Amino acid sequence: MRQYETGFVLSPALSEEETTQFIQQMAEIVALKKGRMVKQDIWGKRRLAFPIKRFQEGVYVFFTYDGPGDVSTELERRFKQTDAVIRFMTVLKDPRDLARRKNKKRRAEEAAQAAAPAPAATGSSATTGSAATTEVKEEK
Amino acid sequence: MPRDDRPERGERSERGGYRKYFAPKRKFCRFCQRDIRGIDYKAVEILKKYIPDRGKITPRRITGTCAFHQRKLALAVKRARLMALIPYVED
Repeated sequence: MRQYETGFVLSPALSEEETTQFIQQMAEIVALKKGRMVKQDIWGKRRLAFPIKRFQEGVYVFFTYDGPGDVSTELERRFKQTDAVIRFMTVLKDPRDLARRKNKKRRAEEAAQAAAPAPAATGSSATTGSAATTEVKEEK
Repeated sequence: MPRDDRPERGERSERGGYRKYFAPKRKFCRFCQRDIRGIDYKAVEILKKYIPDRGKITPRRITGTCAFHQRKLALAVKRARLMALIPYVED
């Protein structure tokens, strides 16, 4: 399963209600296409670096999700249909980056676990000499 | 303190101008320093450091960014431009 990130800019002309409704609709589409929403990031209204369709600001929303490729195609098809979206982009998250992040997290957890029972372990290893021998003894 | 064994003066004095007096400061890749792999296009504050007034991407001969990160940085800047987070041109 690949992880994608779709970002889109909504028109500032929409009312707050319409904006939330639209975002919810799009989130439903992700679920409908058997995607798993990982993160939903709503930045809110933000000034654009240059005018798009004569708008000076837009509402930034970012979806991160796992799923098959047709999730993003469906989302983009909908974006093209409405006038509400003024800009959108889907990027593929680098799987190597994700693996790296997972490893980092796991290592941090292991370190935290190792730190907790450390005082008892160090006491036993000091008496027997090395860490390897203590492991063997514990197994017996 | 022995003052004779300073770095060789002869080599440096061959170069002209201010280089005679100031050794160039060593540049390094700031992404390698912090052990960052991917550069996210949404991190506008980081990208802004690499696009001065004109809005162009600073070459790595100036910033000292390594080739790997310069590639990632250029891609991130281009993506951010598309999403109107960063300007294409600024006058």
